[in-house]
Amino acid sequence: MTSWSVEGLETTLDHFRLGPVDLALAPGHVTAVLGSSGAGKTTLLRSLAGFLPARRGRLLRDGVDVTDLPPEQRRLGYVPQGLGLFPHRTVERNVSYPLEVRGRLDARVRARELLERFGLTPLMHRHPARLSGGELERVALARALAAEPELILWDEPWQALDVEARHELGFVFEELRETEQVPVVVVTHDPSLAFSVADTFLVLRGGKVGLTTDAASLLAHPTDPFTARFVGFENVYDLPTLRGAPPGSLAAWLAPRSGPEGVAFPRPVLSPGSGSRGAWTGLVRSVHPTPEGLALTVRVDPLLVALRLPPPLGTGAPSVGATVAFDVEEKSVHALG
Amino acid sequence: MNREAEGASTPRRRSRGRPWLVLQLVLSGSLLLLFLLPIYALFTYAPPSEILSAASNQTVDTAIWLTFFASGIAVLAAVVFAIPLGYLLARRAFRGRSLVESVVSLPIVVPHLLVGLGLFFLVIPGSPLYRFTTAIGFPVYDTIWGVVLVMVFVSAPYTVLAADLSFRAIDARVIEASRALGAGPATAFLTVSLPLALRGIVAGLLLTWARAVSEIGGILILAYTVYPGGPYNGPVTSTLSVLVYNLFQAGDLSAAAAVSSVFLLIAFVLFVVVRLGERSGWVPWRRGELAP
Repeated sequence: MTSWSVEGLETTLDHFRLGPVDLALAPGHVTAVLGSSGAGKTTLLRSLAGFLPARRGRLLRDGVDVTDLPPEQRRLGYVPQGLGLFPHRTVERNVSYPLEVRGRLDARVRARELLERFGLTPLMHRHPARLSGGELERVALARALAAEPELILWDEPWQALDVEARHELGFVFEELRETEQVPVVVVTHDPSLAFSVADTFLVLRGGKVGLTTDAASLLAHPTDPFTARFVGFENVYDLPTLRGAPPGSLAAWLAPRSGPEGVAFPRPVLSPGSGSRGAWTGLVRSVHPTPEGLALTVRVDPLLVALRLPPPLGTGAPSVGATVAFDVEEKSVHALG
Repeated sequence: MNREAEGASTPRRRSRGRPWLVLQLVLSGSLLLLFLLPIYALFTYAPPSEILSAASNQTVDTAIWLTFFASGIAVLAAVVFAIPLGYLLARRAFRGRSLVESVVSLPIVVPHLLVGLGLFFLVIPGSPLYRFTTAIGFPVYDTIWGVVLVMVFVSAPYTVLAADLSFRAIDARVIEASRALGAGPATAFLTVSLPLALRGIVAGLLLTWARAVSEIGGILILAYTVYPGGPYNGPVTSTLSVLVYNLFQAGDLSAAAAVSSVFLLIAFVLFVVVRLGERSGWVPWRRGELAP
């Protein structure tokens, strides 16, 4: 069981600066790296893997400085974006690769065990080009585990997976956590799966660490527009939009409750039949059914507000063009920044 | 009604496309004819009996052996030196890379007679390089090494360029995966980059070989006559291209045609073997391809 810690790690890629990043990675602990495109998520993963030299800071493995170790000596289970499977090797030879390059005589035996464990034995003579998204994911994970890693780095595990494969991958992660006892760092865009697997969330913004926290406090206190949207606050407004709104409007009510980066609140819930009661009124612009009921977009000048009408959906559901009234609970409104 | 309208419009659309197709066929066909007619003329000029006797002629056989041996060494040199250069250009960002790329294309754009002249000045008897190459047993002027040198100069760029393009086409993340999973830089090159680029590289090596065997300009100056020395211990000879040139200059047209036919037949058979090998999948570079 190996623990890693990242201490003030800084790196650059062309003109992009990442860091300083501080992070403790305990065995069996899953850290999700979040952030919008260009925030530096992949750069962080590549620097942990040793592909980008550290300008400052250290990476410690069980207290030993491994900052300058080349990637092949870090004992990683690395899954890059797009999985990075070897197109010219069969499934079996993809999985045995980390053992082969270390000259392990039991490479084939170990690979077959992993293929069996991930249900890949029937596919072992195929090439990656002939596998489905879920199968490719399993090959990549089996190959990463064949490296007998002390740290697993995984970039966008759920990219390009269908709903069923995503579901299956959630279980794979659970199993991984129990059996491998290895710290895992995943980069992701997907909130639902991040919340289902991660213990710690690291939010990157423009190469800086915005936040390191657990799920509960991330959900309770989104601090910036990205995390607000990530945790499901669909109503996010920046300060310039709120300023100068006519007095008495929703925007004017939100302005003093806003932080430097704006304000966010989850979809206010319309109670069935309450269409005419509430502090704010707006014109329905769109209505979509979702598993959580009807999702409505309402224009409340100058804002568009997302609302929710929970099931059961009666016949009296508002339609496009109708006027609805709703309340925004003061305690649900979060100042950002 | 809709179906009728569609049915009526389809033939009209087809006939509108026909002149365009005819134009393409005429233009492409003209070029193909230009490629094929001289070869036809070459094969039919000398009677088959003369081609056969040329094939068994000692002078011709020596020239053919020399040409294929020297071009084989040129291809080996391309494997050893051109593939690493292609890899460097594809994988490393460094100052002056575009300058290096221009230098690589230089042998393709410079007239080959000038190449021969430049090499001649370098290794002219009395020059330091002449003394050095003679001392280490690689005399260049009028030897097989001179032939090889010119061939490498004019043909290696095709392998460099093919290797550069092929390595560039590999997803960098696949290579990073191999490194992170325990492969050092050399192992990653041998187990991932090279197999994935092999097909393009082999195509480049074929071009290199074709360019090497057909070279004459530089050889005319640096090794017009090839004397025994180095790996060659036979009679005084020349490359096949120089031999044909000499026969033509001497006015022996049917001998020139016969020798050319022999050479073309051998080259053709070699190309067909390689292509068939590629198609049947027994050659190793086919394995680097993506499965369908």
